[in-house]
Amino acid sequence: MADPQLMDRMFQLVMRSLIETGRARHYAELARTLGCSVEEGRQLLLAVMQAYPIGWLHPDTEYIASFPPLNNLPTQYRVTVRGEQKWFAQCGFEATSVTWLFPGATVRVEAPCLDCGEPVVVEMRDGRLLGVEPRGTVGHLNYGFGASRGRPPYL
Amino acid sequence: MNLFRSEEHTRRWPLFNPRAEEGFISLAELAAFFGTETRHHMLDADYLSAWFPKRAAERRAFLERIGKATPFWLGTPSPP
Repeated sequence: MADPQLMDRMFQLVMRSLIETGRARHYAELARTLGCSVEEGRQLLLAVMQAYPIGWLHPDTEYIASFPPLNNLPTQYRVTVRGEQKWFAQCGFEATSVTWLFPGATVRVEAPCLDCGEPVVVEMRDGRLLGVEPRGTVGHLNYGFGASRGRPPYL
Repeated sequence: MNLFRSEEHTRRWPLFNPRAEEGFISLAELAAFFGTETRHHMLDADYLSAWFPKRAAERRAFLERIGKATPFWLGTPSPP
């Protein structure tokens, strides 16, 4: 079991690199920041992903694909903050949680509807919905929660 | 876990699961569901060790409040 304090630090480094640059840093870079060896950094990342199973590594790699609410791998859920679009939300549900990563800022989520391709736009600030376009926009869970019900990216 | 322009658009989606009729949620409920207390602490230094473990109970309580405490939403096994 990895040191919980080190895991907390690794978690915050990953999350904050995503917030600052739109990209999650590689464990080898994070290891340097943490003052540990590359292998210790790799083990720490694996421990963090195990403790945070709502995120995942790209299959057969140790590259961070998803670290919700943001995604390192682009999705259709484009996130714009202060006029800059450099983030992607993990999914439509997590998109409504991105607001908590940008206190005081308006977070705009724009995605094409998977039926017609026309846009769905949601704007939030500090957890409050500022606007939803079109007004009839809904969230939908296609397989139910739980590992046995479907692959996480397609829930 | 997607957003659609309406329920009708969702049902027209070629990958729509006909068993997921109970999978709809309004944007207001969704924002509240993904905005429960633990989410406010994602930038706290101890989020992973202190806050994330509380998330499951918090989600369950919220789903109970909005009448979605079903296996589909809770992620518990479906009854045989």
